[in-house]
Amino acid sequence: MASFRSVIVNSYKILRQNNGVIGSFLKLFRHDDLKWGTCIGEDKFGNKYYQNNYYFYGKNRWVSFPPSVGFDFDASQVPPEWHRWLQYITDEPPSTHPLPKRNWMADHTENLTGSSKEYVPYSTTRPKIEAWVPPKK
Amino acid sequence: MAMLKLFCARASVHGLARQGLIPLCATQQNRTHFKQVGQQPPNLEWRPIMDRAATSVFWNEMFKGIGICLGMILKEPANINYPFEKGPLSPRFRGEHALRRYPSGEERCIACKLCEAICPAQAITIEAETRADGSRRTTRYDIDMTKCIYCGFCQEACPVDAIVEGPNFEYSTETREELLYNKEKLLSNGDKWETEIAANLQADYLYR
Repeated sequence: MASFRSVIVNSYKILRQNNGVIGSFLKLFRHDDLKWGTCIGEDKFGNKYYQNNYYFYGKNRWVSFPPSVGFDFDASQVPPEWHRWLQYITDEPPSTHPLPKRNWMADHTENLTGSSKEYVPYSTTRPKIEAWVPPKK
Repeated sequence: MAMLKLFCARASVHGLARQGLIPLCATQQNRTHFKQVGQQPPNLEWRPIMDRAATSVFWNEMFKGIGICLGMILKEPANINYPFEKGPLSPRFRGEHALRRYPSGEERCIACKLCEAICPAQAITIEAETRADGSRRTTRYDIDMTKCIYCGFCQEACPVDAIVEGPNFEYSTETREELLYNKEKLLSNGDKWETEIAANLQADYLYR
């Protein structure tokens, strides 16, 4: 009966962490899943990272996107240092083991395809053949 | 006549041995453990008839199936809730390409064109010029990501670890042209992902 007891305890913890019944419903609506875990850290975009080893490997780390992105959340919104932890490449989160930062490193951006800031390819060299422009008199 | 008698005696001895002696001496297999593998005829006793009738009237098999379904519903699902949870990845994962820089900020690529030569899909195009300070650098470094087969030969061939395949695989695009990467895009990929690329190389350096 230990499993029934853990179900009840987990339900209580989920309800408490997600601000009651209504909060849990909204969380379920947005995340398709209800879990409880300890908050490992938060990045500068507002993504919160949770861990709970009660769930099996692959489900025990997850990200919670900030309310500001609404339903436009995307997996590419996770910055590289947290991406490393979230994809189980390392067990050390950057909140406790920060990665070295250089001043030429650029800010993380999400996948910008479909937006006005999407990448458009262009040539980085001068064209080999240039049209002849007739000299003006 | 004597010859005929001898022949007859030999024949009768042979016949005696076949009928009497060989069956006595030989070990014979006595096969009694047969198993019926075909469809068995139904037992027509009253009791089995009643059992069969009860099984079909009370939908025994239906309820057994519903019970299995209920058990599967209550089991913990083995799915990963993707944008929030992700599967494990290797530090050697070969994803989106990036051009790296030295810690000073100088770009690493020296336009040796080894990656262009080794690329089996011929996805890389490089043009080079001597820069104003006398160093040899690329002016064009294009990768056609629609041609790339992600074999990783370019990063193996690179003598200065300039071109690497980073850990990012979430760069799907809406149009095809967005996958024709030029040098600026590759360098900006490197600037964005360098923290993780460097950490992954550091994690894996003992095995290279």
